[in-house]
Amino acid sequence: MRWLALYLPHLPLEVLGRACADDLPLAIGGERILNCNPAAAAQGIRPGLKVGAARALCAALRIQARRPAAERAALERLAAWSMRCTSLVSLAPPRSLLLDVAASLRLFGGARALLGQVGEGVAALGYQGRLALAPTPLGALVLAIHQGADGPIIPDGAALRAALDPLPLAALGLRPRELDDLTAMGLRRVADLLRLPRAGLRARLGPRRVDWLERLLGEAPDPRLPFAPPAEYRGVLELPAEVELAPALVFPCRRLLAELGGLLLGRQAGVQRLDWRLGHARCPDTHLHLGAIAPLADPERWLELLRGHLERLDLPAPVRAVGLVATDLRSLNPTAGDLFPGATADASGGPALLDRLRARLGPDAVRGLALVADHRPDHAWRWAEPGELSRGIPRANRPLWLLPQPQPLTQRAGRPWLNGALDLGQERERIDTGWWDDRPVARDYFVATSRRGERLWVYRELRGRGDWYLHGRFG
Amino acid sequence: MARGRVPAGVPTGLAALDQALSGGGWPPGSLTELLGDWPGDGFGLVLPALARLQSRWLVLVDPPLTPFAPALAARGVALERLVVVNAGARGAWAAEQGLRSRACAAVLVWGGRWDGTQLRRLQLAAATGDALAFLFRDPDAARAPSPAPLRLRVQPAPTGYRVTVLKQRGGRAGAVLSLPSC
Repeated sequence: MRWLALYLPHLPLEVLGRACADDLPLAIGGERILNCNPAAAAQGIRPGLKVGAARALCAALRIQARRPAAERAALERLAAWSMRCTSLVSLAPPRSLLLDVAASLRLFGGARALLGQVGEGVAALGYQGRLALAPTPLGALVLAIHQGADGPIIPDGAALRAALDPLPLAALGLRPRELDDLTAMGLRRVADLLRLPRAGLRARLGPRRVDWLERLLGEAPDPRLPFAPPAEYRGVLELPAEVELAPALVFPCRRLLAELGGLLLGRQAGVQRLDWRLGHARCPDTHLHLGAIAPLADPERWLELLRGHLERLDLPAPVRAVGLVATDLRSLNPTAGDLFPGATADASGGPALLDRLRARLGPDAVRGLALVADHRPDHAWRWAEPGELSRGIPRANRPLWLLPQPQPLTQRAGRPWLNGALDLGQERERIDTGWWDDRPVARDYFVATSRRGERLWVYRELRGRGDWYLHGRFG
Repeated sequence: MARGRVPAGVPTGLAALDQALSGGGWPPGSLTELLGDWPGDGFGLVLPALARLQSRWLVLVDPPLTPFAPALAARGVALERLVVVNAGARGAWAAEQGLRSRACAAVLVWGGRWDGTQLRRLQLAAATGDALAFLFRDPDAARAPSPAPLRLRVQPAPTGYRVTVLKQRGGRAGAVLSLPSC
């Protein structure tokens, strides 16, 4: 009970249609229908039906050609996703994966629980999967294909034999010539074949077929090539129907994110940046870049950020395809999420909060402040990335608030006036600097008190007419 | 009212104010309203407490002007913990997010119109996230009731602030304090 086989009977259909809910009839075919979704089946569409007849049955049926490259890519993405369950995944093209789960059974709470989790995960990604657990890879594969709807769990060699015995000979994937030959001998079931002496079989079917049988039964070793998870994620979903409103894209996007999430979990990695591409029919793609303060691994967090962006997005045209690229995978170590070493655990929610605010309000709406080592008040600070450490000159005698532009003050009897005469204090601070660039400053600053009692930061130009300005408030 | 029933406050950094407040400081995990003629009035009153809260974020939602970084740094505020949010019409939402997140020590909010329901949500968010919520409002707001456990009227004075305690849970209202500027 070491191998879990995942068989995807409808993969050719799903790589085209999984982006939508199952309410539109869709089929794969050339001259004849190869595969169709439940909505099409409900209209009487069946595999093997001629395309003309299918169209006569269901005028709304969309028929698309099979796309082997997309199937292979989907299988690889699923393999990457399934690394959440085990460190050894092997591709079994065209439509299956093999997972070595010997070490994960206990971790996932037993065979039944593991099958349940994989089944649910695969379904959430938009695939129909059939699963089987068996001692050998080929045994698991054969049982997943032929009994996978029930998710059989085969603990040992004897049980494997018992499970294989009643299957028809065709379950062994024999060539038509071999099958005819064996049927002519009066064999019907797998049991009939396995009962024959191996030497005779070797002569009749050839050594390669007998090797295959021995690997199936666990009599010969069957090492599998481990799938190497990619260093980046690239996923595309073709939408069978165009989507007009950005928020409706959450559904297909969630599936891409779930795949990415599996890859990240398998690699113990997070990403700080996602690049979304929304493909339109008749105008250039819309690109959407999502950034996070710290690497994120949880697809739900990314979905939350994406929701915020989609709410604010006006689509130039309906969307036909959604693509997601994440290239900058970063391994997560336990302290990577902690922006502030030495801070309490509570601050760890900071990056999530900032991401959430930015997603909804826009990237420029959430900023930090930093000091700049410059004597000119306007240049003594700048906007910064929240969390950024800066060096500059703290100044105790400065106001808490700075006006974006100095505000000219009227004068009466040579004194500045703002809703009444301003009382200039005793202290004067001269700032005369900045001659090295184009914005020199030559001012005398005062802390003034208004008639209302407000404390204001005002200055008088040392050059020109000696005008007065309001520059800050102490508040 | 028995003082023991009021949770210990977060020290304001101003002895006279701590003495006047029932918990001996800003009510923790609560909404405090500061009513001033100019929206920025009262910011300086809050700063000494903010300077002591170094472990979590300080979020300013829609401040009336740019807070002047050199002045904040001189008063002990950790700039690398400070976030300024321009939320516009979504100020209430942004403030709630910050308060609830548990990632913020304090959230200061300016502007916006607040009805009883929104104020209750803000108070609840502050309690949920164990954060200080400061809402800067117009003096007219004093005429409508508020779920905020503490409401202060703040007026500038030549030496600092004149503060009137309009309401406080578990303590006496009506006190008028003369506080130094910071």
